[in-house]
Amino acid sequence: MQNELKYVGKSLRRKDGPDKVTGRALYTQDVRLPNTLVGRILRSPHPHARIVRIDTSRARALPGVKAVITVEDTKGIKHGFVETPRYPADQEVLARGKVVHVGEEVAALAAVEALTAQRALELIEVEYEVLPAVFDPEEAMKPGAPEIHPSHPKAPRALANIGGTTETEWGDVERGFAESDYVREDRFECQLRTHGYLEPQVTLAHWENDKLNVWTSSMGGFVKRAKLAKVLDLPQSSVRIHKTYVGGTFGGKIDLYSHEYCACRLSMLTGRPVQITASREEIFSAYRHAQPLTLEIKTGVKRDGTLVAQRIRAINNAGGYRGSGVVVIFLAWGFTMIPYRIPNLKYEGFSVYTNYTVRAPQRGHGAPKVRFAIESQMDMIAEALGIDPITIRLRNARGSGEKLPNGDDTHRGDLRECIRVAAEKSGLLAKYGRDRKSPPKGTIRRGIGIGVSAYMGGTLIYPNGSAVIVKMNDDGSAIVLTGAIDIGQGSETVISQIVAEELGIGMDDVKITSSDTDTTPQDIGAWISGMTYVTGNAARQAAGNAREKLLQAAAEKLGVPAPELVAADKVISHRLNPEVRMTYREAIAHSVAKRRGDTIIGEGFWRTMRDEPAHPSLATTRGRWTENYAFSAQVAEVEVDIETGEARLVKALTVHDCGFPINPALVKGQVDGQVSMALGHAFMEEVLVKDGYTLNPNWLDYRMPTIHEMAESEDADVITEQYRVGQPYRTKEVGEGLISGILAAMGNAVYDATGVRLHSTPFSAEKILEGLRDLEYQKKKKLKKIEA
Amino acid sequence: MLKTDNESRAALKAPAQVVSLCVNGEWSELAVKPRTTLIEAIRDLIGLTGTKASCESGTCGACTVLADGRPVLSCLTLAVECDGMEVRTVEGLAEGDKLNPLQEAFLDHGAVQCGFCTSGMLMSATALLERDPKPDREAINKALEGNLCRCTGYNGIVDALLAASGQPVKARTE
Repeated sequence: MQNELKYVGKSLRRKDGPDKVTGRALYTQDVRLPNTLVGRILRSPHPHARIVRIDTSRARALPGVKAVITVEDTKGIKHGFVETPRYPADQEVLARGKVVHVGEEVAALAAVEALTAQRALELIEVEYEVLPAVFDPEEAMKPGAPEIHPSHPKAPRALANIGGTTETEWGDVERGFAESDYVREDRFECQLRTHGYLEPQVTLAHWENDKLNVWTSSMGGFVKRAKLAKVLDLPQSSVRIHKTYVGGTFGGKIDLYSHEYCACRLSMLTGRPVQITASREEIFSAYRHAQPLTLEIKTGVKRDGTLVAQRIRAINNAGGYRGSGVVVIFLAWGFTMIPYRIPNLKYEGFSVYTNYTVRAPQRGHGAPKVRFAIESQMDMIAEALGIDPITIRLRNARGSGEKLPNGDDTHRGDLRECIRVAAEKSGLLAKYGRDRKSPPKGTIRRGIGIGVSAYMGGTLIYPNGSAVIVKMNDDGSAIVLTGAIDIGQGSETVISQIVAEELGIGMDDVKITSSDTDTTPQDIGAWISGMTYVTGNAARQAAGNAREKLLQAAAEKLGVPAPELVAADKVISHRLNPEVRMTYREAIAHSVAKRRGDTIIGEGFWRTMRDEPAHPSLATTRGRWTENYAFSAQVAEVEVDIETGEARLVKALTVHDCGFPINPALVKGQVDGQVSMALGHAFMEEVLVKDGYTLNPNWLDYRMPTIHEMAESEDADVITEQYRVGQPYRTKEVGEGLISGILAAMGNAVYDATGVRLHSTPFSAEKILEGLRDLEYQKKKKLKKIEA
Repeated sequence: MLKTDNESRAALKAPAQVVSLCVNGEWSELAVKPRTTLIEAIRDLIGLTGTKASCESGTCGACTVLADGRPVLSCLTLAVECDGMEVRTVEGLAEGDKLNPLQEAFLDHGAVQCGFCTSGMLMSATALLERDPKPDREAINKALEGNLCRCTGYNGIVDALLAASGQPVKARTE
C-alpha cells in the first residue's frame, strides 16, 4: 500500500517556502496599521522589593503620551501557565504590591513614537522598599529563607517557597537497593539557558468596534486568546488572534506575557493600535528562560547491569512565579520512566520559588537534564561492572508492546531496535575507549558516547483537540482551514500533504488558511509535540469526509455504488471500468445542483486518548499521558583539546522512531536543529546571572552555535508505523525529543576522550581542564603510593 | 538608547536630511534623521519588510542587506551613510515569481524553517557567491559566520550553498 502514496512520506518542498525566501512572509513586526502607538514597559530594577508608591503623573503629562497603566488599571484577574484546582492562577499582568524578580513589569505606556515613550518611562516614579532576595533553590527551601510566596498548602510544612511538588513511587526501593549488587548515588546540575528565538517577542493590538485584533509572536493562537480574554475580562469572541508567521519559539512563546496584555489594554484605552516589541536585552534579562534542574539519583543494579531500583530527587529553580515550574517536575519523572524498565522507583520533585525570572518550557522541557543525568550515570555503572555502554542499555531498554507504570503502552515503539541500529551504524564499540587506552600524539583526543531518550507525543492540555475544515472549490481544488500555527516546523506543509493524499488532488491544489482564531477551527497549538498526530489526523478526516461526499455525488450521477469508485488526480472513476468517470468539477456541480446545494465541505476532529478525561496529575503522576511514545538513541563523537580544555561535537548520529515520517526532509530539519541546540547546551550557552541581574544579555556574550560549530548530523529513521489512505495513523514526536539523548551522548563522549566525568553542563573548557588536572594529580598520588 | 531629557529632545528636533537610495533598482528620495538606521529606512520609510529586525545591535545578521554589493548590517548602518548607494534586499532576488537558483537551493535543501534568519542569510550568501562562485567550506563559514540560525543547525544552509554553486551535496539520511 505504502508505495502508492503520492504525497505523504515524500520530502516535498515547504508550502511556506517561497514566501520565506522572497521576504513576502508576514511576521508580527511586519504588520503595519495607521496611527500605531509605541508601547513600552517599565520594569523592576530589584530582584525582590515592596512597591511603596508609583507616581505616573509626570509621564502622563508628557506631550505625546497617550496612556499609562499600572496594576490599578487592570481587572486584577490572575493567570498562570497551569490553572488547575491544585495550582490556581498566580500571576497578575502587572506587579501588585511587590516585585519578585529583576525585570518584572510594573507599568506600561503608549506614546506617539519611541523616543517619547522612552522619556516617559523615565518620568514614572516608583518607590521601592528592597527585600532580602534568594536565588539558590536549596537555600530558598530552608525554613527562614526570605519568603517570595507562601509555600503550597500541600507542600511539606517545614519547607519554604515551595511552588509545588510531584511525588510518585512503585515497588519498594529500599528493598530494591538491598537486593542490588551495585548501588551508586550522583548529583547532576544544569546551567540556565535560553531559547534564542531570532524573532523578538512582539505584539500589535488594535481595539476597534468592540473587537480586539491581535497579532503576536506565539506558539498557538487559541491558548493566547483564552488567556487574553480571561485577563481582559472579555468574551473569547471579542478577541481575534490573527495569523502571522513566527520566527522561532522553542518553548519561549507559549504562555501569556505581560507585554501582550499591555498592548491590548493600552489599545482599548486609546482606541489606537499599540505595538510593543521587546528588545533583545529585555528578552535576555526579563523574559522567561528554561528551567535549571538539580537531580540527585541513587540507582541499584544487578551484576549484569539490570536496573533494580532508582530514587530520584529533582529540584527546580522555578523563578518568581509558578510558571511551568510545576510541570517540569512532573515531566522529569516522565522522562525518567519511559526508556528503561525500573522495577522499583521513588521520585520526588520540588518546584522552588527564587528571585529569578519566571520559567518557560524550552524544547525538551526538562528531558535534556534528566537524560544527561541518567545516561551519564548509566555509563558510570557500566564501567564499574565491566559492561559496555550498549549491552547495559539493551538489558534495560523497553521494547514494543510494553505497559508502562502509568498505564500507557509502547505499542510498536522499540528502544532496543534504536540502540542496535545506533551501535551498528556508529561502530561505537570498536571506537569506544580507544584514545583513553592509547592516547595519540598531539593534544587532540577523540571520544564517542551514546545517550537514549523517549518523548511523549501530544497530551491533554487546553484546548485538548484540533478540528480541520476542508472546503472544495468548483474546480476540484481545496481550501483547508486549520488553527495550526507554522513556527518553522512545517505544519502547513504536512497538513497539505495529508489533504492532497486523502483527496487525490495536487499539492498546488491545496491552499491553507491557518492560525486565525476567528476564521479557523480550534487547534492544540505547536507546543505539546502533537500537531502532526492530532491536527494531522483531523485534516485526514476532514479531507476523507470531503472525498466521501464527492464519491457519493459521483455515484448518483454515474449510477454505480460509491464503494466501486475511486478518486485520484481530480477524477472519479470506476475501479474496473475507467471509462465510467467524471471530474471533481462535475461531481461538485452535481452536488450543488442535486444535493440541496451542498458545495462539499469536509470536517475532521481529533483528540488524543479519547477515554481520558484530562492531563495526568502533576502532583501524583496518576492518569495516562500519551498514546505515542517516540524512542531514540543518539551517538556523539567529540574532539577535546587537552591543552585548552576546549571540546566540540564533530559528528552526531540520531536513530529515532517517529512512527512514519509524513515529510522526511522536515523530520531531518528537526533532527539537525536539535543536534545544534544540544551542542550549544553542551559547550557554549549559559545565561549568567548575579544577584538577579543578567550579565550577558546579548548574543556576543551569550554564545549560540554559529556556522563554525556546525556538526555533521546523520540520522536513521526506524519506521514502526504505516500510513494508509482513509485510516487513522500514529505518528510520533520529532520536534523536541531528540535534543536530550545527544546531550547525554556528548557528556559520555567527553569522558571517553579524556577520562573526565562531568556532573554538570556546560562541559566548559575550564571544567574539562580542571578534570584533567585532577586525573593527573590522582595518577601521581597513585605512583607515589606504589613507590612508597 | 538616549538617556536624558535634553538628549532625546535634541534627537527629536534634529533636522531631517534628504538621502537618495537605490533599493532593488528603484531610486527613492527619503527624508531621514541623522539617527535613522538603514533598516528603518528600508522597512519603515520604503515599506519593504522582508529585511528582519532581530537583535538590533549587530550580533545576529538577520538584517543583512547589500550596500554597493557588500553585505552590511542594516541595523548598525545609518541611512545617511548610504546616500547615493545601491542597496539590495531579499525582495530583489527573485525575478517576479521566478526564484533565483540560490532561493531554489534554500528550499530544496532544508535551509529554511522559521524563516527569520533567511533574508539575511540569503544576502550574505549572495555576496559570497558573487565574489566566489565555487566557495569551499572555509569560505562559506567565513561568509556566514555573522548570521545566526537557531532552527537548522546550518546543515541545510551549507548544503544549499554547495548545491547552488554546483558542488556535490552528501546525503545524510537513510
